[in-house]
Amino acid sequence: MKWSQFFNTSIGKKLLVGATGLFLCSFIIVHLAGNFQLLYNDGGKAFNAYAAFMGHNEIIQLIAWGLKIAILLHAFIALQLTFRNRAARPVKYAVNPGNQTSSWFSRQMAIMGSILLIFIVIHLADFWWKFHFGEIPTQNYGGEEPLKDLYTVVQVAFKELWIVVLYVIGMIALSFHLIHGFKSAFQTFGLNHVKYNGLISFVGIWLFGILIPVGFAIIPVVIYFK
Amino acid sequence: MEHYNMNLTLKVWRQKNTDAQGKFETYPVSGISSEMSFLEMFDVLNEKLINEGKEPIAFDHDCREGICGACSMHINGRAHGPWAATTTCQLHMRAFKDGDTVTVEPWRAASFPVVKDLTVDRGAFDRIIEAGGYVSVNTGNAQDANSILVPKDQSDEAFAAAACIGCGACVAACKNSSAMLFVSAKVSQLALLPQGQPERKSRALNMIAQMDKEMFGSCTNTGACEAECPKEISLTNIARLNREFISAGFTYEK
Amino acid sequence: MLDSKIPKGSLGAKWEDYKGHCKLVNPANKRNMEIIIVGTGLAGASAAASLAELGYKVKAFCFQDSPRRAHSIAAQGGINAAKNYQNDGDSVFRLFYDTVKGGDYRAREANVHRLAEVSGNIIDQCVAQGVPFAREYGGLLSNRSFGGTQVQRTFYAAGQTGQQLLLGAYSALERQIALGNVTMYSRHEMLDIVKIDGKARGIIARDLITGKLERHSGNAVLLCSGGYGNVFYLSTNAMGSNVTAAWKATRKGAFFGNPCYTQIHPTCIPVSGDHQSKLTLMSESLRNDGRIWVPKKQNDNRKPSDIPENERDYYLERRYPAFGNLVPRDVASRAAKERCDAGYGVGSSKQAVYLDFAFNMERYGKIEVSKRQISNASHEEIMKLGKEVVAEKYGNLFDMYAKITGEDPYAVPMRIYPAVHYTMGGLWVDYELMTSVTGLYALGEANFSDHGANRLGASALMQGLADGYFVIPYTMGNYLADDLKTKDIPTDSPEFVEAEKAVQADIDKLMNIKGTKSVDHFHKALGKIMWDKCGMARNEKGLKEAIVEIQQLRAEFWKDVRVPGTANEFNPELEKAGRVADFLELGELMCVDALNRRESCGGHFREESQTDEGEALRNDNEFSYVAAWEYKGPSQFELHKEELVFEECKPTQRSYK
Repeated sequence: MKWSQFFNTSIGKKLLVGATGLFLCSFIIVHLAGNFQLLYNDGGKAFNAYAAFMGHNEIIQLIAWGLKIAILLHAFIALQLTFRNRAARPVKYAVNPGNQTSSWFSRQMAIMGSILLIFIVIHLADFWWKFHFGEIPTQNYGGEEPLKDLYTVVQVAFKELWIVVLYVIGMIALSFHLIHGFKSAFQTFGLNHVKYNGLISFVGIWLFGILIPVGFAIIPVVIYFK
Repeated sequence: MEHYNMNLTLKVWRQKNTDAQGKFETYPVSGISSEMSFLEMFDVLNEKLINEGKEPIAFDHDCREGICGACSMHINGRAHGPWAATTTCQLHMRAFKDGDTVTVEPWRAASFPVVKDLTVDRGAFDRIIEAGGYVSVNTGNAQDANSILVPKDQSDEAFAAAACIGCGACVAACKNSSAMLFVSAKVSQLALLPQGQPERKSRALNMIAQMDKEMFGSCTNTGACEAECPKEISLTNIARLNREFISAGFTYEK
Repeated sequence: MLDSKIPKGSLGAKWEDYKGHCKLVNPANKRNMEIIIVGTGLAGASAAASLAELGYKVKAFCFQDSPRRAHSIAAQGGINAAKNYQNDGDSVFRLFYDTVKGGDYRAREANVHRLAEVSGNIIDQCVAQGVPFAREYGGLLSNRSFGGTQVQRTFYAAGQTGQQLLLGAYSALERQIALGNVTMYSRHEMLDIVKIDGKARGIIARDLITGKLERHSGNAVLLCSGGYGNVFYLSTNAMGSNVTAAWKATRKGAFFGNPCYTQIHPTCIPVSGDHQSKLTLMSESLRNDGRIWVPKKQNDNRKPSDIPENERDYYLERRYPAFGNLVPRDVASRAAKERCDAGYGVGSSKQAVYLDFAFNMERYGKIEVSKRQISNASHEEIMKLGKEVVAEKYGNLFDMYAKITGEDPYAVPMRIYPAVHYTMGGLWVDYELMTSVTGLYALGEANFSDHGANRLGASALMQGLADGYFVIPYTMGNYLADDLKTKDIPTDSPEFVEAEKAVQADIDKLMNIKGTKSVDHFHKALGKIMWDKCGMARNEKGLKEAIVEIQQLRAEFWKDVRVPGTANEFNPELEKAGRVADFLELGELMCVDALNRRESCGGHFREESQTDEGEALRNDNEFSYVAAWEYKGPSQFELHKEELVFEECKPTQRSYK
């Protein structure tokens, strides 16, 4: 089987979805750690320095473009599979089993993924686009050069209620998506073993499904009420 | 076991043939004994329909002891009805109570076109097996049976996968109409046994290619197939199939 | 005079000698020869795969939606083979001897010996295909005991041996389909044999989806269509199991051998009510570990757990101390009937006996306790461990029992009663498996050959696969070698046209009766006559009555049956109607045969012929023959006899005491 054929099979495609998914999972850990600097009461010194580093380091920039490709690939293939899966049952059942045979989260991957995709587009337009291509004030913390003040941009944005609500919804979608998605990726790679399944499931639900989305969501909420 | 009689309302999918439009018909049935099997209840209904000069409901069934895999009803939203690890023919009316409404639909999947009423065409499964669900050994080629040693645990695991009856409940239960559990059962059985090793890679690749060609959906690991499988084929088989397919895809030269 | 074509020479050398001298067809010629196979169970699928591997062009037909669903799949307990892996004294001769004796000296010695000779190859072949037989911890194959033998020679895959073997044969068949050597016609039913110049040259089949009749030609036709137990309506057969293929062949001149030999299996789940559509077997292997008993008191209504040990009658162990619970099926069934008829039956219907696992569960529990070196284990602990062992061996059977009856067989004994299970009779075939119609073969349960008047457990799978994998590939060539000139038989000859017309006429006739009663009504009525008068015990008066009643019922059927729908669509009622019409003719022949055989042997028990102790009493002087019946028209059958010659197993009164 040629590579082109391999990655065109249903499993080949899912392999790509799983691999990009886990790559994105690794990214959000870093992203969250960086974001917590928004909560420092240092006038944005640490956060802006971090943003400047991330925005200029070439290796990080390379990874950042990789991330964007991963997001697009992940979304594109997953949607392709979803449409195919819908087509595989042209006449729907009149009665469905609901949660009797599968978890609710596992059945909502496409919906939650789509919400997430919309969220990510807005999120990038709000901050990443502005940071790189928009007009943004600068701050000088006594270094050689003044830094772009992304910190203030964020503080201002999160004083808008609708934006805070949007971010919380986005993080709920992330949570639901990862509760199933993390462990599902392992199953797709064929990594299913009684001795490790518990750990994978635990990390998927508690770290990626709860801790990380809650961590992300706390930031806008705290800023809003500050 | 205490037994009782019940009256039920059945909503059954009627469809004249593959190309016809189908619709639900409602039938009251009375005096159903809790000791009957679900299909015996259908026998009673059909007998009544015939006596009334109506057309009986066509449904697949044969052995009525849960092993041939012919029976295939989607009952109240559940493949093979509410009992776990049970085929429709082994489902007994104890599972219902007087006054219940029971909706019965055929397996629904593009790959399983309706033949008539509750009967569907599962020929796609045969074609998947044709793509590689065998060991290429002609009659008379075999060596003495005990010259192949198979560790008991491995043999038991292969047997557990081989227990698949090809009924299609996995496809029917999956929201994506995926046939991964069915394919994984056969691939696992042969991947676990020494006899399956020579064709291990080509088998995984070819069977998956055929599965895709038959237009089954892809697996999103919801686990509904395992929950509905009358023979309790495990999801670990799907993981094994993924492993087999990925390693073959990365290493097979052809 | 029937020529069974048994090769000369000593019994042990016949098959070797035959194989060494039979005619062969070269590979190039094989590719020009077509073989039609009807039925894709163990015999049909294995024959189709093996013949296709040799190079023949095969067309295979089954009425199910897939060949994987043939009723061989339901066989539970196991398959015999004279491997002697257990070092317990087994040999080809002993398997041969047990089978002839088990069949109450009414089988053909040469066929049975061949069966025993190839039994080992079957296991080898199946293992090579990836059939997951049960294994020991060392990785070697495991065996268990079955009835009628004192060695452990039964190979098994939990309680699903038939399934695993059939899936093995099915996978071999699917491989040949993929290679283009077999064309598979599923959801097709054979409705007639086409004979040209006295030879079988094709079939008329109905596409069950479209209702269209099709003509298929071939150099030879193989019927692998199973048994006819469904003539009783209630049996352990699948709902679709039928005699139609074999019966159409009978009407075209194939003789029907020993139709009265039916096997009533001792351990089935009892009938629960009028709605019952089929009976479910509980594998004979359960008798390895289950003990059969009834209360010593008549009409004892106490719960089984309330009946103390000394008030239980383990009647098989009492009557047959040497074989105990593992006596052959016919003996066990009659003993159960005897106890129930005498008023010792249990359950609400009183038509049941107990199959109790408590004793062996405790024994296994104790073994586990000692293996695990647990000291001071409580009774509960022992029973829990014992239950695990039993569950591993028979789990699926226990689950099935629980689902059907709603009772927990681990906690209370199973209630069981005999039920129709297998038919030893079938189309008469010679040593080469050819029927009395040239070019028409019968394999597996569809023929009469190997089991005499009673089949031993785990021998049906063995016979089906022996015929398909290891016999027919040789004997087929011996016939086709003389048929090389016949190629591409056209299907527009008058014989095909005629046959199709006749089939169409039968279908039209059924559709046009438009009577008032369903097919099932007639099937149930026939079943009741057969069970009451041609069932576990038969007598002259009852059989004579049955013949008249069946004739009346048949006349009524053709006047008053209602087949809904049309003939040009998927119409399961029409399929059933055709099958029941054939059962209504076969049923009569079974009674005629049973009436003719004024002796008891194996599954055929004539009340007039029994020992003082109630055991079956053969009459070797008069009845040591195969009764092969020729169809001469409705209710007219001519008897042909094949004398049975016993060189190695001299008939004696069968004893399992």
